[in-house]
Amino acid sequence: MSHELYACLYACEFPLQALLRLRPELRGNPVAVLSGRPPLEMICSMNRAARLRGVALGMTRVEAEAIQGLRLLCRSMECEIAAREVLLECAANFSPRIEVTGGETWCACLLDIAGTERLFGPPAEVAHRMREALAGAGFRASVAVSANFHAALLKASASGGVTVIARGQEAAALENLPLDALNLPQMQAETLAIWGIRLLGELAALPAVELIARLGQDGKRWRDIASGTLPHQFQPAEPQFSLREFCEFESAVEQADSLLFVAARMIDSLATRAAGHALSLALLNITLRLEGGKSHQLTLRPALPSTDRKFLLKLLQIELAAHPTPAAIVALTIAAEAGHAGTVQLGLFLPQLPEPSRLDVTLARLKALVGEDRVGSPVLEDARSADAFHMEAFALGAPDRAITDRRPRIALRRLRPPYPVRVFCSDQKPVSFHDGHQSYSIAVAYGPWRTSGCWWAPGDWDRDEWDVLITQEQRAHLLVNDRRQNRWQLEAVYD
Amino acid sequence: MPSANALRLQIERTLESRFPAALSPMPQTVRETAAVGIAEIDSLLSGGFPVGAISEITGPATSGRTCLALAFIAERTSEGKVCAWIDVNDALDPESAAANGVQLWRLLWVRCKSKAERANGKPWSRLEQALRAVDLLLQAGGFAAIVLDMGDIAAEHGRRVPLATWYRFRQAAEQSRCCLVVLGSDAYAQSSAEIVLECAPREARGRTVFEGYAFDVQLKRQRAGSANASVNRSAMGSAMGAMRKPAASIWTAPNAWATGATA
Repeated sequence: MSHELYACLYACEFPLQALLRLRPELRGNPVAVLSGRPPLEMICSMNRAARLRGVALGMTRVEAEAIQGLRLLCRSMECEIAAREVLLECAANFSPRIEVTGGETWCACLLDIAGTERLFGPPAEVAHRMREALAGAGFRASVAVSANFHAALLKASASGGVTVIARGQEAAALENLPLDALNLPQMQAETLAIWGIRLLGELAALPAVELIARLGQDGKRWRDIASGTLPHQFQPAEPQFSLREFCEFESAVEQADSLLFVAARMIDSLATRAAGHALSLALLNITLRLEGGKSHQLTLRPALPSTDRKFLLKLLQIELAAHPTPAAIVALTIAAEAGHAGTVQLGLFLPQLPEPSRLDVTLARLKALVGEDRVGSPVLEDARSADAFHMEAFALGAPDRAITDRRPRIALRRLRPPYPVRVFCSDQKPVSFHDGHQSYSIAVAYGPWRTSGCWWAPGDWDRDEWDVLITQEQRAHLLVNDRRQNRWQLEAVYD
Repeated sequence: MPSANALRLQIERTLESRFPAALSPMPQTVRETAAVGIAEIDSLLSGGFPVGAISEITGPATSGRTCLALAFIAERTSEGKVCAWIDVNDALDPESAAANGVQLWRLLWVRCKSKAERANGKPWSRLEQALRAVDLLLQAGGFAAIVLDMGDIAAEHGRRVPLATWYRFRQAAEQSRCCLVVLGSDAYAQSSAEIVLECAPREARGRTVFEGYAFDVQLKRQRAGSANASVNRSAMGSAMGAMRKPAASIWTAPNAWATGATA
């Protein structure tokens, strides 16, 4: 006795479903999809509401536009590829052995579900759970379960909802299906029509030897499919786990806020898919295709991998505000990298630190406020030049390096950029300086301290530093003579 | 004859409708303090800056304000806590911060832009940027100390910050248990500030090499109702006699090379 058991997930009108998956608000409206190059575009897919209004396959754009209330969308192969990946990933939650098949306007995943009863229950329950999972991902699909591969595919394509064909009852389940379900070549279909064969049950009832004599081995194959007895060599696909979503807009989007509605659904879908693998989103690469063919790249890198849609969406919103696009947006692609969700061991005696996800949002806001390069932690450079440091991204959990010497020392307050002054010297010592508004006489001048370096590179310096105390006010300044340009500058104030 | 206690209760009951608990002392909040790391200042403040409150350090240039704030940040970061420095004039010198012992990787430095650097016609001035940054960080929580460095801006600009803003900062600092230290040439937070320190330069040290500076620090203001404040006042009061002068201290900040030579 065979132990094979297949479940077929069949998504009809796939070009339309791929487009409506991220636009659920359009589902109730009559919508049709046009394919082909203008002006030879034709209807290739439509929903039930559109069909009720008289839309038919092969209609031209002009004919379709004459139908009132009909929403026309353009077919997007990139959307279909992304939707097929999502469909495959939904199916992969139930079985690792999946064969993907499809036609011009449909897509089907056939799952080998033999032995999954203990995990998911009896076949009918598995089928219902699959359908719910697909509905959650935005697909309307029919599901059929059968011990025969072809029987499951035929039944799922011909009937909506969930169907379970009992083992050995395949022929009975298929007998009332029309012959069109086999997608026969036109000549053979006409021959069978002349014979008066309309249903699969009638084809299955024909004697095998005579059928082969008239239609050849293909005739026997169709007869076996119609009777639900044709064996199948299962060719499982190996789904690659890639988190990518794509959406093409009908008209160019100029407002970032309207983009966020679509982005929210895409992030939601990515987060759900990552969570299905017990992972979170560690990095989001956002590519915005702009009018004119250019593209605009954004990268979101949360401190900790997260599946929190609101948080990721907030980061995207701030990033978009900080880096506005130079033109309207025509398509949006979000590719994510998955990572393990961060686990934080809380401790009663650990110091209070900012919450990583809130800190991410705060830092993004601060960067939008003052600039990308002006928020972070300073890192001193291994150089002897003045004010040598660079900024690094502020991150929690940096490796601890103990500093034992914490004695207070007089600090400098830098003037960035240094303030040019006129200095009057006596015996090669500065005695007063003028800052353009006022003259200051110098009570004491300590120095000079001559430093130079990097003479072999563009950023070379050669200067004399003086610590000067001003007579009028009790102030200490750092006065610098740039010897290369013979220029005096007020560089810092001691405080 | 009724005892004093019974008499007090009777008076309080009579005045209850107008003054609840008229003769009972108000409950005082003992505020946690965070050490500054300079012995003289810690003894002046009876422990350090109050946690969850606004502390102001005022004074002219070369009065030790920055050094004092850096010492405090160094102390906080050494405890493994993170701090922020909101720099209105982009004046912080990371080298000085490191020399004071600040763990720079635990310091978030927000450098507000000058008008010339501002891109895309963003409408905020540097001070407004700084105030917004403080707001964001206080709301985010988790920062042990935030220094709002308004040291180089004119006092009249600082005084334009509405009192409602300081009051909001005070509330937020209290909720997030953050020490908000405001550096300025004058006191701006007024009644919202828990303490106000006034710094002044005293004298420079060094003959041939500038070795450092001695500073005067006065405790100009301490909010009433704080137990620390009353203890401090009475202690300083006895030291000062009947003069009613504010509590004061002198401390010295040597230069980095000067202490390096003596150590």
